[in-house]
Amino acid sequence: MTTHPATATTAASELRLMEGSAAIAESAILAGCRFFAGYPMSPFTPLLENMARALPAAGGVCINCESEIEGANMVLGAASTGARAATGSCGQGIALMQETIAEAALNETPLVVFNMARNQQDYFQATRGGGWGDYRTIALAPKDVPEAVEHTQLLFHLADRYRVPTLLYGDPLIAQTRVGVRLRRLEFGDLPPKDWALDGARGGTGRSRQTWTWAMGKATNPGPGPDGQWKRIAAKFDEIARTEQRSEQRYIEDADTVVVAFGSAAKFVEYVVDELRAEGHRIGWFRPITLWPFPSAALAEATRGARRVLVFELNAGQMIDDVRQYVHDRSTVQFIGGVSISDTGLAFGALLDAPEVRARILAALPATAGTGGTSAERSL
Amino acid sequence: MTRMRSIGHFGADEFALMINGIGGQGVQLIGKTLTQAATAEGKHAMLAADYGGEMRGGPSKVSVVIGSAPLRALPVLPSADAAIIANDKFGGAVPDRLRPGALLLLNSSIVDPARAGTAHRVVAVEATAIAAALGASQASGFVLLGAFNALTGLVAEQSLVDAMISLLPPYRRQHAETNTRALRTGAEVVAGAAVGAGR
Repeated sequence: MTTHPATATTAASELRLMEGSAAIAESAILAGCRFFAGYPMSPFTPLLENMARALPAAGGVCINCESEIEGANMVLGAASTGARAATGSCGQGIALMQETIAEAALNETPLVVFNMARNQQDYFQATRGGGWGDYRTIALAPKDVPEAVEHTQLLFHLADRYRVPTLLYGDPLIAQTRVGVRLRRLEFGDLPPKDWALDGARGGTGRSRQTWTWAMGKATNPGPGPDGQWKRIAAKFDEIARTEQRSEQRYIEDADTVVVAFGSAAKFVEYVVDELRAEGHRIGWFRPITLWPFPSAALAEATRGARRVLVFELNAGQMIDDVRQYVHDRSTVQFIGGVSISDTGLAFGALLDAPEVRARILAALPATAGTGGTSAERSL
Repeated sequence: MTRMRSIGHFGADEFALMINGIGGQGVQLIGKTLTQAATAEGKHAMLAADYGGEMRGGPSKVSVVIGSAPLRALPVLPSADAAIIANDKFGGAVPDRLRPGALLLLNSSIVDPARAGTAHRVVAVEATAIAAALGASQASGFVLLGAFNALTGLVAEQSLVDAMISLLPPYRRQHAETNTRALRTGAEVVAGAAVGAGR
């Protein structure tokens, strides 16, 4: 079985009203995902349900497992045969999968994890991982459903390109909002052959292959061993950190204030910054699209002229660690986010709202900033 | 045909509607129907739902944004150009974020129009009573949607009918005819009161 990307099939597609979870599921199938396993947990559940409905018709398999640990390990097994395979969950469920994610990183099995998070408190576990060893997880944080559809396909590509686990950082708004989307297969370039994949004694090459975190090989055919394997993997993650940074920014050129946010929160920041710009504030925004690798060089450059770098995230302060590490001047960094959870516990709370974001940004600006002051005052 | 007004953002040609009610009134379904109808007409549309775990009687809200270009609107609306209040038990008769002068369509079988004040363009429709008279008490939401669409002209009436039918699961197909009558009756009772989406 080959799962290498086919040649481009980018015929024009119509605008379809789809719930985010359904759009992500169909995008994953378009990317060639043929195995999905997971355990229900809101707001991830609708993605699992959509996969259960759509994958069999596409010739794939979806399994509703007994636990997240089981699901992640089934995906590890399917992916080791070369299939494009994915799992997902959120919060605690992703935490349960971390041992498997670490194994996949260290034994170089490409797979995709859909973290349809309840909020932004999974930043650390998305970017650092809870597993052991010298690895990171490529993590993409879309700001809305159309971008999540695109990221879904990019994550399968990056997983295969580098033989690593990759992660989508979704949230309740992305999972549940319905918007018009155009679904089509996206192409991101050629990929190396999966000549490492287990292909069976019959029908395949018949050659014995080994997928092992320690890479010690066999008595007759020794591998590089843990020292060689883990040095090589560490170097691979260094390369990814250099080459796969993605970010977006606006109004940076003359901004005194730069607001940094990711995922859905960045969409709210973008909206409020547009308002404040129209009112005369010298303010811009910066959005990491890859949470790991964090867009370090772009952030340093974007904050070169800033007097204030405001970090808005829906947690007690996680991404702010990365912002402090890479910002042009650490003394300019202020936290304006916070923990904010809905009454159900399953979604964002009241802080993810344009008036709230606006109030937090304005509270961090000096009193003379904006339309109230003269141009001379504004330039102070 | 349709004039859509900005929701206040930099010329964005987007129209934002909030629908409030309680679980069981079809609030989610009419939001979905309008969004599906707009999408089928080639417009850009977004639907953001907000409801609890209760099947019936709990708060049920939905926001719909329709535009002619990719939308800039947020899934949590900072302001709205119109509101439909099917029941005011949870959100009150006037949503906080409704723009002054906006269209406020009330189900006056349940919501007392006197509670709506004078800051908005209030249109009252006895939706629950009309639906009951049609022999389809579950279709009060479609009465409101038919009235709202006749007032604003956001989509063609037939697009709403088509969208409603496309969203019915197979075991609810028997409701297509009464739902269609509910949509059309809602439009008839506000005939002559059209306010357009551009006011």
